Amino acid sequence: MGVYDFKVKTNRGEEKDLADYKGKVLLIVNTASKCGFTPQYAELQELYMKYKEKGLTILGFPSNQFAEQEPGSNEEIQEFCRVNYGVTFPLFAKEDVRGTNAQPLFKYLVGRKGFTGFDEAHPKAKGLMDALKKKFPEYLEGDSIKWNFTKFLINRQGEVVGRYEPTTTPASMAGDIEKLL
Amino acid sequence: MVKVYSIPNCPWCEKVKKYLKLKNVAYEEFNVEDSDEARDELYKISGDQIVPVTTIDGKNYVVSFDKAKLDALLGL
Repeated sequence: MGVYDFKVKTNRGEEKDLADYKGKVLLIVNTASKCGFTPQYAELQELYMKYKEKGLTILGFPSNQFAEQEPGSNEEIQEFCRVNYGVTFPLFAKEDVRGTNAQPLFKYLVGRKGFTGFDEAHPKAKGLMDALKKKFPEYLEGDSIKWNFTKFLINRQGEVVGRYEPTTTPASMAGDIEKLL
Repeated sequence: MVKVYSIPNCPWCEKVKKYLKLKNVAYEEFNVEDSDEARDELYKISGDQIVPVTTIDGKNYVVSFDKAKLDALLGL
């Protein structure tokens, strides 16, 4: 079983075969609300624009399992929503990414690359830990997806080569992506 | 006819629609996630991809849920 064996649903309800992305470097991300202050969208879009010609595709999987916002950004919530989150890479249907109803792709990804902790140097790391301990302590257990913007990097052979927690910014992943292109 | 450009699961879009209903303003809704045509129209009007956008003539428009601006636009 590999990444290319999964079928997912697009945001318009059509089935998409991940085998269609064979040979590409993939960045699979669980994304957040299109209505909050979510700077990682902009950075992901920048990565996509910079590397898509060289063979990078970003696949975004929205879910609403994480209180629909980034911790510590309540004061910055925007009073509008962005069509397609302001990004041009493929987005898929809103589905669970953790728990018993998690879509199979994400069960597979967390099985390949477990949780090894947050980058505590990230300014939001502490806020994220506090929010999880308070609201979703069970999320901290095991290898499950902890929060929005957990990123999995897949090489051209379809192997899951990296997992990056929400505390790793997309921009800081550029070096790792370049190595695979 | 008043036009509201919106997407699903957008709390401010819901507020605009609720407010228009409350004020008995008939409107037509355009889901720009489903319709590329509506998205292009939206872009022509506001030059951006944010919703909700409310307009009558396609020239003057209100972004988000702003009661005062909506009242002015719609003459309420």
